Amino acid sequence: MSEGIHFIGPLILAAFLFCVGIYGIIARRNAVLVLMSVELMLNAVNINLVAFNNLRFADSPTVDGQIFALFIIAIAAAEVGVGLAIVLNMFRNRASVNVDDVDLMRW
Amino acid sequence: MEQLLDYAWLVALLPLAAAAIISAFGKLMPLKGSEVGIVAVFIAWLISIGITWHTFSNPGVVLERAFDWSPLGGGLTLELGMLVDGLTAMMFLLVTTVSLMVQLYSREYMHGEERFTYFFAMLSLFTFSMLLLVIANNTLQAIVGWELVGLCSFLLIGFYWHDKPNQDAANKAFMVTKFADVGLVVGVIILSAGVAATGIEKPFNIGTTMELSMNGTLSNGTIAFGALMIFLGAVGKSGQMPLHVWLPDAMAGPTPVSALIHAATMVTAGVFLVARLYPVYIQVAAVMHTVAIVGVITLFFAGFLALVQDDIKKVLAYSTVSQLGYMMAALGVGGYTAGIFHLFTHGFFKALLFLGSGSLIHAVHSNNMSEMGGMRKFMPITFVTFIIGSLALAGFPLTAGFFSKDEVLVAGELWAANGFVTGNLVLWLGLAGAFVTTFYMARSCFLIFWGEHRGAHHAHAEEHDVVPHGDDAHDEHHTDEHVTVGHHATPHESGWQITVPLVVLAAGALLVGLPGSFLWPADANNFESWTATHALEEASYPFISAPEDDHPASEAVGGAGVLAAPALAAEPGEHGDGGVHVLHGPPGFEPLLAGIAFAVFLAAAGLAWSIYGKGQPDDDPMFRMGPVTKALVAKYGLDTFGYRYIVVPVRDKLSPAASWSSNVVIDGIVRSAGGAAKRLADATYGTLDQKIIDGGVNGAAFSAAWWSDKLKRIQSGDVQRYAGALVAGVIVLVLVFAGAR
Amino acid sequence: MSPQEIVFYLIAIATGLSAIATVTSRNLVHAALFLAATLAGIAGVFLVLHADFVALVQLLVYVGAIAILFLFGLMLTRAPIGREALDSQNRGLGAAISLVLFGVLVTLIVEAFGNQPAFPVDGVGVAEIGLALFSRWVFPFEVASMLLLAGLIGAILLSRRESGESGDETPITRIQMSELGPGDDRGELVSTKRDDA
Repeated sequence: MSEGIHFIGPLILAAFLFCVGIYGIIARRNAVLVLMSVELMLNAVNINLVAFNNLRFADSPTVDGQIFALFIIAIAAAEVGVGLAIVLNMFRNRASVNVDDVDLMRW
Repeated sequence: MEQLLDYAWLVALLPLAAAAIISAFGKLMPLKGSEVGIVAVFIAWLISIGITWHTFSNPGVVLERAFDWSPLGGGLTLELGMLVDGLTAMMFLLVTTVSLMVQLYSREYMHGEERFTYFFAMLSLFTFSMLLLVIANNTLQAIVGWELVGLCSFLLIGFYWHDKPNQDAANKAFMVTKFADVGLVVGVIILSAGVAATGIEKPFNIGTTMELSMNGTLSNGTIAFGALMIFLGAVGKSGQMPLHVWLPDAMAGPTPVSALIHAATMVTAGVFLVARLYPVYIQVAAVMHTVAIVGVITLFFAGFLALVQDDIKKVLAYSTVSQLGYMMAALGVGGYTAGIFHLFTHGFFKALLFLGSGSLIHAVHSNNMSEMGGMRKFMPITFVTFIIGSLALAGFPLTAGFFSKDEVLVAGELWAANGFVTGNLVLWLGLAGAFVTTFYMARSCFLIFWGEHRGAHHAHAEEHDVVPHGDDAHDEHHTDEHVTVGHHATPHESGWQITVPLVVLAAGALLVGLPGSFLWPADANNFESWTATHALEEASYPFISAPEDDHPASEAVGGAGVLAAPALAAEPGEHGDGGVHVLHGPPGFEPLLAGIAFAVFLAAAGLAWSIYGKGQPDDDPMFRMGPVTKALVAKYGLDTFGYRYIVVPVRDKLSPAASWSSNVVIDGIVRSAGGAAKRLADATYGTLDQKIIDGGVNGAAFSAAWWSDKLKRIQSGDVQRYAGALVAGVIVLVLVFAGAR
Repeated sequence: MSPQEIVFYLIAIATGLSAIATVTSRNLVHAALFLAATLAGIAGVFLVLHADFVALVQLLVYVGAIAILFLFGLMLTRAPIGREALDSQNRGLGAAISLVLFGVLVTLIVEAFGNQPAFPVDGVGVAEIGLALFSRWVFPFEVASMLLLAGLIGAILLSRRESGESGDETPITRIQMSELGPGDDRGELVSTKRDDA
């Protein structure tokens, strides 16, 4: 190919997705949706990693960025599993997955 | 014997120890404390005789010992000491003899009295006080003794305090003498200040004061002022006019008290003090004249008051006042020896008279002469001794009183020879006073011992005047011993404890005058050499220039021309010092003066016999003298004057004002200070403590609670908010790190 | 603009819009599906970036497993089918923070890498990834597998029922639609004992 994309394109996309994920964490009421937003954030990080991997590729070939991304995918999978298990527990105990209702550790 | 002088202080302390023992244990003793008192005074009497013997044989000997105390650590030294010389010895002998006789007498007179022990304790205490005054070597100690005798006098006059008049009499005595004591204290202060100004450490010492007065260190003004102020104290204590008013009222006390205190000892304290400080008094003419005039007034006017009395003790009281006037007047005209000689003899015969009157009162249970009469049949010993005493008082030749009174008149004559009119006053008014004295004593004797006994005519409780009858308590006491009616008609002689003192004192009244008389060998030690203090031996009056040698002072203007005997003139050899000497030398016999005195005696006695020889007349001429009688009965209006112009204003104006200033002003200040302190405390508590400090403390807690209430909302339990805060922090960190690059 | 750029921009826009839809959708299941779309778009981005293997793994794992997992989770927690109530009250805070963060990050990125020229990329083969993974990165690889095991065990442990409650005594959970009409999507949770037939 002739020219690639602007280097910062993916980076800005990643930042955008990250911020959307933050908004989702803060603003969503359902616990499962909060977990979804966390996934969004993780994916934004993945994009970042892969983009930077390309940055170094020109000098010397490297796959470190992609390896990182793979690991993050794996970890995210495990984390989602455990997280949903917790949400399920929460639902069983309190009959609600509304994070606003889980405020017993308040003043 | 010389070492005995070192123990002179024992004479004073033995009665004090006796007083203490009697107070503590008297009631438990078999004789109720009287044995302790009598033994103590007896031993003191023996020591006094020893001291007398030694000082008489060695004239001019003087012993001074003192404990020094410097409260300020130097600069001012106070002394507690004794000054033993002939004057001291004379007073010792007088006080211990009379005290011993009175204590023995009191054993019978106060027998059965409930407060017998207290009486004896007070007698011993008084004896100690008087001896403390006599033995003092410094004026401060003299003041202490002076005040103590005043206290004992108060307590003893008010012995029968259950009756109000007796309390009043005690109060009057105390207040009048206390008023005069202001003068005493002021005088002592002035003299001691004068002495201290020269840098001497012991300004109160009598010897030092006398020395500085004589060598001119103290100014005449200091001397005059100090001496006159001290004389004011003497006026009160020795009953000179016008402060004599307490003495007649003091007869409310028991008769032994009157004999001891108000005849022989306490009232002579003033005369004694002037005599002791004589070198001070002779420096300024004005002082001498003042003393003389006061004495003359007293001796003349007091005698008349005795003419209208019915109470025998009142007669004797006024007689005492008059005789004190003689002593003071003698001192005022340069008759140092005469004055204290008269003091000495008067002590004996006046005590004798009082004790004798006590014996009479004891027999008839009344003080009034109108209830006596014909007593010579019932009480022979009392009669004889009383007559002897009266003769001595009147100056019958060869009694002690004769010699001493003669000396007084001679002193007046010699003084007149120096050109002073006070000497003439003493001489002529003294003779006139002798007439009055003889008259009233003769009147009294005739009323008491001659005529019919009037006791049976009067009921037991009838009284003629409202003067306090201290002995009435004594009367009631004996009611159970005598059947009331009928038995009183026959009084009987008193027991030996009363009559023996009478006899002893009568002997004294006859014999103690001899050492001062012209019958005594002229070259032997006599009364004058015995009592002349060391300072006076060479003293002379600074205000009299020496007369020329060929005119002996004996031939003086205005004198009776009596004094031709050279023995009485100052020895020519001594004129060389440039002044008239104080001491007159041994007395000589002057027939003219003695003759005049005897004539006066006969005239007065004869007049009295003519009126009273048959007993009490129906109309006593004394009471028919119109305005004179009125004045005499009213005691010259002095008591009324004192009451209206002194007692009432003080009681009704000064005392309420003083108590107002204390209760309203001073207490008001104190109370308002207290109130202010309380208000300040309340304000401090309310504002400072409650509002500010507690407000601060509470406010700290409150603000902590308020802040925590506000800040706790951060922990909302909302996890998403936590996440938001976290991300915000991340943003900040990113900015920080980016900015750092 | 090269074709790669055009493709990239299209995919990026789609991904971004899907992401926004994920976090703002009122319907929970729609949100899950939009998440899946977003994940797929990200896989496309990987492809554009010449990370083939990662893109495929992304599709397999994320879209194929995790998105489905989310759907299961929504089901098991009886997520209401239909619209749900408004988001929590923290929307303002979230919007503010994310906007600020986005602004900061973009500024920084542009500053740091704005001048970075585009560069051609040849791509990396799977063989290189395999080699690197088992040589240089073998240790984290093993740890990651341990982690997956732990996650597995943990998920089972957390979601199992308490002992002694299995079998006939467990209450059945039923979802009952509300009778109150549209607009109220709340269902009732009714717990009944299962009858022993």
